[in-house]
Amino acid sequence: MSKNIDLTQEGIQVKRSCCFFCHQNCGVLAYVKDGRILEIEGDPNNPTNQGALCCRGNIALKHLDHPARVNYPLKRKGKRGSGEWERISWDQALDEIAAKLDQIRNEFGAEAVTTAGGTQRTDDWARRRFMNLYGSPNGFHNAHLCWIPTFMVETAIYGWCPFETDLTSSRCLVQWGHNPGASGMPEMRGINDLKQKGLKVIVIDPKFTETASKADLWLPLRPGSDLALALAWLNVIIWEGLYDAAFIENCCVGFNELAQHVKDYTPEWAAPLTWLDPELIREGARMYATNKPGNIQWGVAIDQSGTPAGAAMHARALLRAVTGNLDAPGSDLLTGPSKEFITDEEMEANEWLPEEQKAKQIGSDRYKITSWPGYGKIAQLCKDVWGKAPTAEWMCEAHPPSVYRAILTGEPYPVKALLVSATNPVNSYGESLQVLEALRKVDFLVTCEYWMTPSSMLSDYVLPIAGALERPTFHSVYGCSDFVIATQRAIQPMYERRTDFDFWRDLGIRLGQAEMWPWETLEEANYYRIYPLGYGVSSYDEFVEKVFYHFPEREYYKYGRIGFATPSRRVELVSSTLAELGYPSMPTYIGPAENENDDPDLAEKFPLVLTTGGGFMPFHHSEHFQIEELRFLRYEPYMDINPTTADKLGIKDGDWVWIETERGRIKQKANLTQGIHPRVIVTQRGWWYPEREACEPELGGCLESNTNVLTSVADKDCDPIGGSWANRGLLCRVYKVESSTITSGSNGKDGK
Amino acid sequence: MARYAMVLDTRRCIGCHSCTVACKVHNDLPVDMIYNPVTTVGPVGVFPHVHMEFIPLLCMHCANPPCVECCPTTASQQREDGIVWVDENKCVGCKACVMACPYGARIPNHEKGVVQKCDFCKDRLVLGKEPYCVATCHQRARIFGDLDDESSEVYRLVNQENVVRLLPELGTEPYVFYIMD
Amino acid sequence: MKPKEDIWGWMLAVDFFFAGMGGGMLVIIGVVEMFLGEGRTSLIANFIAPLFVALGALLLILELGRPFQAWRVFLNPKAILTIGAWCMLMAIGFGLIYATFGIKALPWSGWVVIRKLVAVFCVIFGLVVATYPGVLLGRHKSRPFWTGFGMVTLFLTSSLVTGSSAHLLCNLILPPAKLEISTILPYLAAGLLAFQLIFWILYMWMKKTGTTDREAQAIQSWINGDASIGFWGGFLFAGSLIPIVLLLIPSAISYLIGVILVLLAGLWMRINVIHAGKTRTWLPGEERYRGRLPLGDEAFLKAWLKD
Repeated sequence: MSKNIDLTQEGIQVKRSCCFFCHQNCGVLAYVKDGRILEIEGDPNNPTNQGALCCRGNIALKHLDHPARVNYPLKRKGKRGSGEWERISWDQALDEIAAKLDQIRNEFGAEAVTTAGGTQRTDDWARRRFMNLYGSPNGFHNAHLCWIPTFMVETAIYGWCPFETDLTSSRCLVQWGHNPGASGMPEMRGINDLKQKGLKVIVIDPKFTETASKADLWLPLRPGSDLALALAWLNVIIWEGLYDAAFIENCCVGFNELAQHVKDYTPEWAAPLTWLDPELIREGARMYATNKPGNIQWGVAIDQSGTPAGAAMHARALLRAVTGNLDAPGSDLLTGPSKEFITDEEMEANEWLPEEQKAKQIGSDRYKITSWPGYGKIAQLCKDVWGKAPTAEWMCEAHPPSVYRAILTGEPYPVKALLVSATNPVNSYGESLQVLEALRKVDFLVTCEYWMTPSSMLSDYVLPIAGALERPTFHSVYGCSDFVIATQRAIQPMYERRTDFDFWRDLGIRLGQAEMWPWETLEEANYYRIYPLGYGVSSYDEFVEKVFYHFPEREYYKYGRIGFATPSRRVELVSSTLAELGYPSMPTYIGPAENENDDPDLAEKFPLVLTTGGGFMPFHHSEHFQIEELRFLRYEPYMDINPTTADKLGIKDGDWVWIETERGRIKQKANLTQGIHPRVIVTQRGWWYPEREACEPELGGCLESNTNVLTSVADKDCDPIGGSWANRGLLCRVYKVESSTITSGSNGKDGK
Repeated sequence: MARYAMVLDTRRCIGCHSCTVACKVHNDLPVDMIYNPVTTVGPVGVFPHVHMEFIPLLCMHCANPPCVECCPTTASQQREDGIVWVDENKCVGCKACVMACPYGARIPNHEKGVVQKCDFCKDRLVLGKEPYCVATCHQRARIFGDLDDESSEVYRLVNQENVVRLLPELGTEPYVFYIMD
Repeated sequence: MKPKEDIWGWMLAVDFFFAGMGGGMLVIIGVVEMFLGEGRTSLIANFIAPLFVALGALLLILELGRPFQAWRVFLNPKAILTIGAWCMLMAIGFGLIYATFGIKALPWSGWVVIRKLVAVFCVIFGLVVATYPGVLLGRHKSRPFWTGFGMVTLFLTSSLVTGSSAHLLCNLILPPAKLEISTILPYLAAGLLAFQLIFWILYMWMKKTGTTDREAQAIQSWINGDASIGFWGGFLFAGSLIPIVLLLIPSAISYLIGVILVLLAGLWMRINVIHAGKTRTWLPGEERYRGRLPLGDEAFLKAWLKD
């Protein structure tokens, strides 16, 4: 892997693989000889990264054969969490797991088996297919916190999620709770390029982020107050007459109702809620509305804000509609699903899940837009207009906190098994103490992993999973884009690793699904999917090598031809779909999950406002803390605090501090910065310490600095529409860690 | 003859540390060796009126490199194309250059007992490739090239943009230029 | 937070101490020989002076990353370190040759011209060895504590102070054949100490009011920070002022205590001067960046070491 390796030597094959360490799926060229990868580099021909790679991409070979990787199927020997393992064969593991799942289905029903996922680096259609055929509706991811509710609310209003920003001819970009400067390097490059050509950039973020440092306008709002801001923007745009009258006239319904609805949501009304100057609110609204075409790029922050999340994403979505920034050149495009290749949804076998099982989906009685009641309705509308539906995996899932609660309480029914794939729930899901209890309690826990994470430490079986270089990747934005970028495996999986497609398929075959899994390998399945594109290739690898990606010709203003996929076939400024599901048809103000206005007593006890979860380099979610080359750059967790506040609390830069909410407390080091409001605290996400003991009670220090100890999943803090729980806009307090309670950053024990 | 130089566009750099990692991993450096840190300046000012810059650092490949003249073994040397490099076979690890370099660009390798540094990936240049830190940069914030070549991007930037050099008062004449906002 | 940066360590400082002291002794030995004749310095001093330089050289070698390649430091005549290395070698050689003239059994002990010539070389190379660390440090433009000509004077002075004190110590152990110099030595040492005292205060004043803020900041820890007690109380008071008084009291005990204090102060000064050079003129944002890097013994760095 060094410059000393001669890459021109004979026998080297260059494989067109990709990086898997975030969603961008940057292209990676792998130089392979005799089944070993000698070197990797960014693929200059990949349209996403054009040759570049971020920190994480560069450590692909360190990741591939890191000494801490799980390389063989493991079965626990001692008690759960004892750290004692026995190496077994895949056949034994699959036989035993299948037998157990069969037994659970017979005793408790298929719905007693659930699966947890993380972010997208898995073959999710395969998991969904397995679950549908097995009969359980209870698969889930952190979907409710990340894009999915936004996708569904926007699809309810205008028939698809306009996630494709047509930036090339855009004049204004709103980054709403989104920091590609730390989380999406290729995106940020595009913004940098366009900024130099005059693109105006508005960043809405409590923190002065990397992206904010390049912006024309920064709106540092109170965490969780996005709804107030969005409503005020609607007010400014509508009542100052900055809307797109022709688009509203021709394509929308309900404008007058909306105008009346937002009449009182003035910038002056929003100012005390958002902590922003009314003029700054106006300036932002005007900048977006008058620099057309413009874009509002999706950002995760609203999805993570709990109670007001659904209404806020609804209001944000309406901003595009009233300004006509939909499916026009330079605006946010409604591409619809691909009509040309087989989509994820078509691979999922959703039609095989009986209606009575769909009805049992945990949380679907409350959080309807992201579960069968809402998805079913919206998917049908999409099929009517687009011919195909959005992916069900992700868009239609059990509500994770409710599943963990079901494990603990047996309500609404017993949950007996949890199959975990590509996630470390203790660190990634809300209210870690509850998640940890659920993992300890659940009868049967299987984890498919790269590493021995705090969650896999508690498992009955840990199965070794192949990484990005060891599997083909079919990149189509959670199965919802009309384009595909296809990459191949550089090598066969090392040791006894397998792809999760293999895992679900082999498990399915053992549970009587054999004829539903005609594809023996992921390449075969992918070939089946790209075959209709008609490139005349005879294998998936040939497609990767000769075609690589498929981008259909852009067709703007498609709604003129097919309408919008809503009941009225128009953009519904007053949403009939939301109303039918029992939700407000227009966004109405709700305060942040925890706030000083609705709960002054709580605010007295916890006077600061907390936001958690923003991405930061060089890590990703709870990953990569083992990779020394990355960890060296940030080996300890840091929280942001304004120097004025720190001074009052006697906190100096670099001090360990406790951050405490009603749920619990964690410690991180203080980073004194003028980049946040004196009343706001920002913690880093994901932290655990894989260098510590991999068994109970230490569990890799998974609670010590883990920001999810602080988040809230209480029903009252969850968004009633999409089920988001509260990661942002919480109330907290901060105080210094007394020196006697810590030893050092990387090996100190919790002093509680 | 070429004269290699690098331009760092701080308007584009976002402090993602990709260059730092790419350099370390691909040059096979021990974990604790960093040739090219990226520092953060700020946020400067008082909330909410702040600004922030990211400053990628590396060897400046100076025209008057103090690290070369102080080397007692001649291991530290400069090529005609300006690249300052260390011949590891000759280096004895006296750290005179570490102390002499005003830019922190000289890093002792404790495994090998020698001092190492950025050499603009001179072995890659032979293959027609750019230094790792340049190739890996998503933001295209690092621009590398030949300053003697009037058609090069670095020539254009150095002559048309508002560029500064670090610690110019020391008279080292760096060949690394910074475009500041 | 401590910014992590690899720099010269204590061994180099101890090298400067011994080599400087040896160099200072050689200067005195040579000057005395040239102008007053032989037998006026202790034979122990004559031998120990080059041995001190050799000890310094040994420490210098041990400080290297690759000690067995040490011979390579002689290869760049333009480098101060190379000049220093050659001069140390010469100082050791001429010092040892000169010392052997004191052994009457050796046939060349009576070759006066050669002895005088060797003495001249002892002065020249001793002077260079006593001075060059100051030149080396003073040339570091980006190390604000060191930069400037002041370091040269300070190191030369300290070398002569410790050198003359070491002579005094040697005289107490084995008095020279002819004693007239022995009576002057304490006054010489006391005078140099007085000069050192004044010059260090001047140096601090110059840095504080000097050309750049960085220089003023660099000496801050010596004036009223972490190193201030060591500097004012230790080096200047206990290591310079007190010995001046002690050396003016003609008694073996007061000489002994005075010399020990002087030597300890000389050692302290070099270790702390080297340490102070750690602070480079930081580039924008660099101090915080380095301050947050691991120091190297963190658990995560050792947890997954292969074998």
